[in-house]
Amino acid sequence: MTPLYALKRLALALPTLLLVAVAVFGLLRLVPGDPAQLMLGDAADATQLAELRRSMGLEGPLWLQFATWLGHALQGNLGVSLANGEAVLPLILDRFQVTAAIVLLAVLLAGMIAVPLGTIAAWKQNSFLDLSVVGGATLLLSIPSFWLGLLLLILFGLNLGWVPVVGYVTFGENPWQAALYIVLPVLTLMLIETGVLTRMARSAAIDVLRLEYVAHARSKGLSEAAVLGRHVLPNAFAPTLTLLGIVLGNLLGGIAVIETVFTLPGLGRLLVDGIYARDYPVVQGTMLFVATIYVLVNLLVDLLYPLFDPRVTAE
Amino acid sequence: MIRCTIASLAIAGLAATTALAQQPARGDYMLRASLNSDIRSTQPGGNRDFNTDSVMLHVVEGLVALSEKIAVVPMLAEKVDLSEDGRTYRFTIRDGVSFHNGAPLTSAEVLWSLKRYLDPATQWRCLPDVNGSSGLAKITDVAAPDARTVTITLEQPAALFLSILARPDCGSTGIMHPSSVGADGAWAKPIGTGPYSLGEWRRGQYIELERFDRYASLPGARDGFAGGKQAYAARLRFVVIPDSSATKAALLAGNIDVQGDVPSPELPDLRARSGIIVQAAPSMGMTALLMQTRDPLLKDVRIRRALALAIDVPELVSSMIGSDAPSNPSPVPSASAFHSEAQNARPARDVAAAKRLLAEAGYRGQTIRMITNRRYPNVYDAAVATQAMASEAGIKIELEVLDWATQLDRYTRGDYQMMSFIYSSRLEPSLSYEMISGPKDTQARKVWETPEALALIQRSMRVTDAAERQGIFEELFRRFMAEVPAIPLYNQPDYVATRAGINGVQPWASGQTRLWGVWRQ
Repeated sequence: MTPLYALKRLALALPTLLLVAVAVFGLLRLVPGDPAQLMLGDAADATQLAELRRSMGLEGPLWLQFATWLGHALQGNLGVSLANGEAVLPLILDRFQVTAAIVLLAVLLAGMIAVPLGTIAAWKQNSFLDLSVVGGATLLLSIPSFWLGLLLLILFGLNLGWVPVVGYVTFGENPWQAALYIVLPVLTLMLIETGVLTRMARSAAIDVLRLEYVAHARSKGLSEAAVLGRHVLPNAFAPTLTLLGIVLGNLLGGIAVIETVFTLPGLGRLLVDGIYARDYPVVQGTMLFVATIYVLVNLLVDLLYPLFDPRVTAE
Repeated sequence: MIRCTIASLAIAGLAATTALAQQPARGDYMLRASLNSDIRSTQPGGNRDFNTDSVMLHVVEGLVALSEKIAVVPMLAEKVDLSEDGRTYRFTIRDGVSFHNGAPLTSAEVLWSLKRYLDPATQWRCLPDVNGSSGLAKITDVAAPDARTVTITLEQPAALFLSILARPDCGSTGIMHPSSVGADGAWAKPIGTGPYSLGEWRRGQYIELERFDRYASLPGARDGFAGGKQAYAARLRFVVIPDSSATKAALLAGNIDVQGDVPSPELPDLRARSGIIVQAAPSMGMTALLMQTRDPLLKDVRIRRALALAIDVPELVSSMIGSDAPSNPSPVPSASAFHSEAQNARPARDVAAAKRLLAEAGYRGQTIRMITNRRYPNVYDAAVATQAMASEAGIKIELEVLDWATQLDRYTRGDYQMMSFIYSSRLEPSLSYEMISGPKDTQARKVWETPEALALIQRSMRVTDAAERQGIFEELFRRFMAEVPAIPLYNQPDYVATRAGINGVQPWASGQTRLWGVWRQ
């Protein structure tokens, strides 16, 4: 694992990011409707539309619009929102904080539950415990997140009144209130991701349990706890780590459904609102940011991989 | 020489349907209402949408405002006089009104505000309506002859001029203090004269307004956007909740007090709950089925008439919204003072007659594609019900469900055969007709382009005599029903749900939630 390797990987990501930028820009412009039309609604006449489009910078050839946007983006300027005039980059970073707090916490907790649970289920393969874990995990990953979120909201927010139903404050402002606001979104996401990760951890552990060195460890007279803790868990974790990276990359890109149900001002909602409003700079900027996060998370996973599987070298 | 005077504050007797059984209580509490999306900016009439207007109309006030009955009445003006030639409006400004920064209201601030609106850089939504671009009115001069008087001169008389100034989507042409912009001319925040001043705006989360303790209320009860405005709550918080289920949960849990714009699927459950009060009032928006009169099939008026006869509109409307709003065959909203009984006449459903017309027109079961969307559940439901009813007359309709932005694009380009569509509120009958009428060569979105009708609409915008205007609208309705360029269904009701103990909330035709005059028990 060398800094050169990391730099090389980052450089390789640049064409990917450029492709993302081209695809998002092109696809957005192919979709009918534009922000000027939405702003003026059913009262839009041709003159007003043309004037508003001009003031929004939507006139002129597409390649020029793209080149201008990309040029600014390379300098760290993602433009301003067409809907409310806010600078896009600070807006994204602001919203990302909300999403990241929920996702990191949920995935961390899910990993802490899923990996041991999956390993134990594999150890007791085909037992009642295994069936229960597999059944529970399948159920969790099958539940749509909006439905689970709404159920939790109705139970804990509405019926029991333990947590507020809407709102958000940062931990810096009021840690206790912040915890109350994010507990349900974190729980929803954690439950769903626990289902995904448990199945992966179990499957990886079953593979490892079948290997000769595990049989060897047992024949040496090691306790089952030592076999699992020292030989199975670390080796079974490597494939789960890959999945964890993919999951994390996906979720950090926005948990729009959960953010909408729990009224959280996160990155996913920013993106969805941007798409509905045809707010091109916001959608383009957010997608570029999401792609960058995805690349970085996967790079991090690749760099961590050799720690769990010495056969893999980061060279 | 003064020709007519708008009665100074003839507001007291109007409206005031607020539940006054409970004693209002001014206190140090906060009222929380939902918004289904964030406001776009804090610039009244500038970068705006419906929610922006709703919030900003608590902060700013114009010289005139709309009353509960959608008439124009004085607000910051004590009276409005019109010159003999019908071109010059003379506004006498009310005494004792202060801005949120404590400065008194004089003609200087009015002049500054009006000149700012007339500057194209402000991007005031209603500039085309007062600079001659849209043909409604053209301001040629604005002056302040003394500290309490402002005059506005038009190129020629315009019946709709005061309505334009009062329109919520024009930000009520809210009068603001020059310190609303910074030294560099950049927008800072609205310093108006409304009962609430702008507090904190947390983008994507909420907008908070604070009570303006020195607010100079008009006497009398609340009357539309005019009348007495009592700020009982110390703070108002408009909470942004995009998901309607989450909004309902927040209302039931007591995290918000008022839910405006309640979607119809939520109504039965909310109405069944004891701690929740649901109220409805017909708005000025229109849900209608539009037909492309240049379509090879639908250009035949017999097919359009057959469609109108195939649909049982009262039944369709009743199945969607019960008795919350009547079906309305006229583009003029049922809440308008110009909507007469004659404009309720819609031919009853007659499937046999529809079939005869179709046979005469040579219709052979060709598919008609109707665009709709799921953003507005009632628009989608109307399309589905129409499809089913039309099929009984042998008309084959296929639905094309699009997202709202795409449907709006197709509407603007006139690229459709039929469309189940929702129009935003038009508070003036001339504009109700204008929104659907115009030459398609230059305005593809228009549905009705008969030259005689367009001439009548133009006339209705110039004539100031109410009786004469009424006659024009009756004639327009008669022609509209004969030509059937569209089938208006109803004016969608504005539903507001409140928690028990919250008093004074009253939905009305504009659809905007007003939180002045509202108190917690």
